[in-house]
Amino acid sequence: MAPLVDTRPARSRLRRGVSVRDAGPPIALLVIVLILSLLSPQFRTMGNALNILDAAAVLAVVTCGTTFVLLLGSIDLSAAGVMGASSLVVAVLVENSRNNLDLGTLGILIAVVLAAALGCVSGLLVVLLKVPSFMTTLGVSAIGLGVATLVFDGVQPGVVDPSLRSWATGRLLGLTYLTWIAVVCVLLAWFVQRYTRLGRYAMAIGGAEEVLALSGVRVGPYKVAVFTMAGAFYGLGAVMVTSQLGSGLVQSGASYTFASITAAVVGGTLLVGGRGGVLHSTVGVLLLTVLTNGLVLIGVSPYVQGGVQGLIVVVAVAVAAAPLRHRNQVVK
Amino acid sequence: MSAPVTIRPSADAAVVKGGPTRSESLTSLMPVLALVSLVIALAAAKPGFLSQPSMTAVVDAAAPLAVLAAGATIAVLCGGIDLSIAALASLSSVLLALWLPTLGGLASVAVVGVAAAAGALQGAAHVFLRIPSFIVTLGGMSLFSSIALVISGAAPVPVTDDGPIRWGFTRIFDVVPSAAVVAVVVVAVLAVLIKATPLGSWITATGYSEPAARLAGIPVDPLKIGAFCVSGACAGLAGVLLVARTFSGGPTMADSLLLPAIAAIVVGGTAITGGHGGLWRTLVGALVVTLLRVGLSVVGVSAAYESILYGALIVAAVALTLDRSKVMVVK
Repeated sequence: MAPLVDTRPARSRLRRGVSVRDAGPPIALLVIVLILSLLSPQFRTMGNALNILDAAAVLAVVTCGTTFVLLLGSIDLSAAGVMGASSLVVAVLVENSRNNLDLGTLGILIAVVLAAALGCVSGLLVVLLKVPSFMTTLGVSAIGLGVATLVFDGVQPGVVDPSLRSWATGRLLGLTYLTWIAVVCVLLAWFVQRYTRLGRYAMAIGGAEEVLALSGVRVGPYKVAVFTMAGAFYGLGAVMVTSQLGSGLVQSGASYTFASITAAVVGGTLLVGGRGGVLHSTVGVLLLTVLTNGLVLIGVSPYVQGGVQGLIVVVAVAVAAAPLRHRNQVVK
Repeated sequence: MSAPVTIRPSADAAVVKGGPTRSESLTSLMPVLALVSLVIALAAAKPGFLSQPSMTAVVDAAAPLAVLAAGATIAVLCGGIDLSIAALASLSSVLLALWLPTLGGLASVAVVGVAAAAGALQGAAHVFLRIPSFIVTLGGMSLFSSIALVISGAAPVPVTDDGPIRWGFTRIFDVVPSAAVVAVVVVAVLAVLIKATPLGSWITATGYSEPAARLAGIPVDPLKIGAFCVSGACAGLAGVLLVARTFSGGPTMADSLLLPAIAAIVVGGTAITGGHGGLWRTLVGALVVTLLRVGLSVVGVSAAYESILYGALIVAAVALTLDRSKVMVVK
């Protein structure tokens, strides 16, 4: 995002504000790590650090998708449904306990393509029918859950395919393959955001859509592409969850809709669009995962986690919106 | 952001009958037409459908949904949305089940009060912190679910003595379900309150054009907080009705009602952009949604399609009722 702001010297005050915002989440991450290390001896071990990275893998991939949608200034509530559908589809297409199919990598690809198609539907509905994204994605989420329930059909498909199972169990340099996939995804998403037209336009659409449209850019296709790409990330996330769980579950993505939005917002990817990015969101993912891990080790009930996330997201949005309070009288 | 033509059909359009333009009167009639055609189709598919027991069952099943959706309608009319209603109803059911042994009949009142306060708190966060309502209520949804799971120990809380809440699940004269009467009374009270006071025009004005409403001196902030407060209270009441029929409170009991409730609102013809719509429409919408669910099982379609149907229904209904003159940029 730097060149969008940096090129004009008159913006120096703004730039300082942006840099404080950029530095906030990493500092918060460090502080939380320090505090938890002091409170819990189990937390400050190398093994636990690796655990945290492994636990953050799926959320990091899902959040890559959410981040691009948030950069547009839209929102995506469809992760739960898209992941449910994708998880079931991959579970019945690779070698499994329910049927004789054994498509291997092709099965994984089909699941990701299905997820991308669902994302594409959300995008098309937003662009063509002008339905606000929170409504279209809520609808698409329901459709995805329906598809998942149809495929589930009362019998849980267990994953037998050894290569998919090894995603969650195989290790390289102490980290599971899932974590390495997540690292690749984050780097890829960062590359798209930083160096491709799609990423630059996504940022610009979130910043000032009217200006971009008046400049002669056809905004619609880029929006659809962003939603499609987000869907593909959810699909990959779902395949990763399925590998972790060892079977396809309708609810496998249930917690990720909210967790990914929370992570992105906490990391500094604002809901108003045009601010933040993949690396910001990834810091948010680590922050959230460290917090979850630390709270469990301190002995806080896992049921409290959702509540903590709920509070965090509201506080983070409020803090981000605070400087604009007097400008934005109308908030829907 | 001005919408010069569409401001005209103000509060009058909220009633089911006739809006001034043809397309608006069409969308006003659509829910009723959908309801009538659904009833005819179901009666044709299953001869016994029009019998009294089956009608009673349908109306009874629609009641908690109608109560839940009625409150949220007011938030939508103001231009916001409340995604926390289902989670709040679940939390209310747990609270009611826990408080019934000690508080007796007062427990219902206390639960509705707590839910109203929770709604008002969300409204205040929305208004004073300038956070979009869907994100506040999404946060609220997560928070309420988590509170419900913690205080119930993540298990259903059984109700041993349901005497104090039996009013929520009986048959008046062995025919009319009391829950349906509660739903109609809630809608009627809210509708009359809105119609008889300036509140109606305030809500419509805020929904159609909030900046204009502010300039006109309408107390927009308290109005919105009030809307979310009513939405919370209705969610609490829906929770009470659910406990009355299941004899237990559950931390995820009402969670599956979020989509049907939003579907009921938008199928009724209330525009998600605010301003245009009404409470009676939501009542019709709740009946349509319930009949669709019943219809699916009558026709013999797998329940899995239900979720797909809700998703498609919501998007289609929002697309039809959307006030496109107001949305320059779709986010």
